[in-house]
Amino acid sequence: MVSLYAEKMLNIISNDSLEEKLVCMFKKYGVRGYTVLTARGAGSSGHLADMSGFDANIMVKVILPESRMQVILESIERKIKKGHHLTVYITDVQVITPEKFDKTIS
Amino acid sequence: MSLSSLLLPAVLFFALGVIARLIKSDLKFPPDLAKVLSIYLLMAIGLHGGYELAKADMAIAFQSIIWALILGFTLPIIGYLALVATRKVSPLDAAAISAHYGSVSAGTFLTAIAYLDNLSVEYETYPLIMLAVMESPAIVVGLILAAKARQTIAARDGVAKSTPAEESAEKSNFKEMLRDAFTNGSVVVLIGSMIIGAIADPSGMDKLKPFIDEIFMGVLCLFLFDMGMVAARRIGDFKQVGIVLAAFGVVMPIVGGVIGVYVGASMLDFSVGGSMLVGVLGASASYIAVPPAMRLAVPEANPSFYLTLSLGITFPFNVIVGIPLYHALAKAMAG
Repeated sequence: MVSLYAEKMLNIISNDSLEEKLVCMFKKYGVRGYTVLTARGAGSSGHLADMSGFDANIMVKVILPESRMQVILESIERKIKKGHHLTVYITDVQVITPEKFDKTIS
Repeated sequence: MSLSSLLLPAVLFFALGVIARLIKSDLKFPPDLAKVLSIYLLMAIGLHGGYELAKADMAIAFQSIIWALILGFTLPIIGYLALVATRKVSPLDAAAISAHYGSVSAGTFLTAIAYLDNLSVEYETYPLIMLAVMESPAIVVGLILAAKARQTIAARDGVAKSTPAEESAEKSNFKEMLRDAFTNGSVVVLIGSMIIGAIADPSGMDKLKPFIDEIFMGVLCLFLFDMGMVAARRIGDFKQVGIVLAAFGVVMPIVGGVIGVYVGASMLDFSVGGSMLVGVLGASASYIAVPPAMRLAVPEANPSFYLTLSLGITFPFNVIVGIPLYHALAKAMAG
C-alpha cells in the first residue's frame, strides 16, 4: 500500500497577463513548482478569455503544505484589492511524494 | 467611397468571419492563430519596408519619427478628455481606453496597404517606421493618466497618501511597465525585420520574395477571416458598453484619422497614399500590445470596455468604412 500525505492545492484563475507576476510571487515565497494551464470561460466581471489569443485566461495550480499557504494568500489578497480579477480557491489533495512540496528554495 | 474597396478579398474574408460567427458555424481556428499570423505579417512588411527604407531620405524618416511620437502622446490625451467629458466612465476606465486609441493596430494598417495596392496607389515607406514608433508612447500616457486619476480619486475620497514603501513599489512597477511598453513583441518583430531588410544582402532578399510578397495577401485574408470571428464574438458585449462608449469607438477613429491625414499631408508632405496611411495610424486602436499592459497597470479599469471598443467596434469600422474614408480625406488634403 502506497502512503498518502495530505497537502493543500492553491488554484488561481486569472488573465494571462498576470502570469509573470504570479510566478514572481511564487519564487519570492519559495515555491518550487507550479503548473499553468490555458483556460477559457466567463466570470462576474463580464466576458472573459476566448482563446483567440487576445486576452486569454490561465489557471495556475500549486501544491503546498498548509503552513506556507497564508503568506501567499495575503499577497494574492493585495493584488485583488488593487483591482486584479483573480478567482482563488483551495482544495485538499493527497500526494505520494510530500518531499517535493515541502522543500523551499534556499 | 467606391464599392471596390469593400470587395477587396481581405475585407470580404473579414465579413465571412463575422457571418460564420453570427450563424453559429462550428468553424474554429486554432488558438493564437491571429497572433501567429500577425507575427508573419509584421515580419513580411518589416523586411519589405526595411529594404525600401535603406534607400530613403533619413531626414524625412527622422521627421516621421518625431510626428509619430507627437501623435502617440497627443491622441490618448484627446481621447481621455473626451471620455471624461461624457461622464459615462470612471477616469481610470477613460485612461485605459484612451491608451488603446493612441497606440496602433498593425492589422488595420496592413489592410490599408492591401487597399492601396488594389487601387495601384503609390505610398511612402515612412509610415511603417511610424507604425513601429506609435506602438508604445500611448501606453506610457495611459499609465500617467491612470496615476493622475488615482490621485484625484484618492483626494476626493479623502484616502491617506500612500506610504513611502508603497510609492517606491509603484515606481518600480512603472519602470517595469515602461520596459515592457518598449520591448513588446510587435515592436521587436517589426523593428528587427526592418533592420534585417535594410542590411541583408539583396540577393538573399530576392530569395525571400515568395515569403515577403507572394503569399502576403493570402495570409492577410486568413488573418482578417479570424479577426472577423474575434470581432463578432464581442458583439454580445455591446449592451454592456452602452451607446455613448460605442459612439466613441466610431468618433475617436475619425478624429484620429483626420489629425493623422493632416499630419501626413501638411506636416510631412506625403503623397495621397502616404497621408492616408498616417491617417490610418491615427485612427486605429491597439488590441495586441495595449490590453495586457492595461490589465497589469490599470486593473481597476473594466477590460470589457476597452476590448469591445477596440476589437468589436473600431477595428471593423476602420476596415470597412474608415480606410476608404481616410483615402477620400487624403485625396482632399494631399491630392
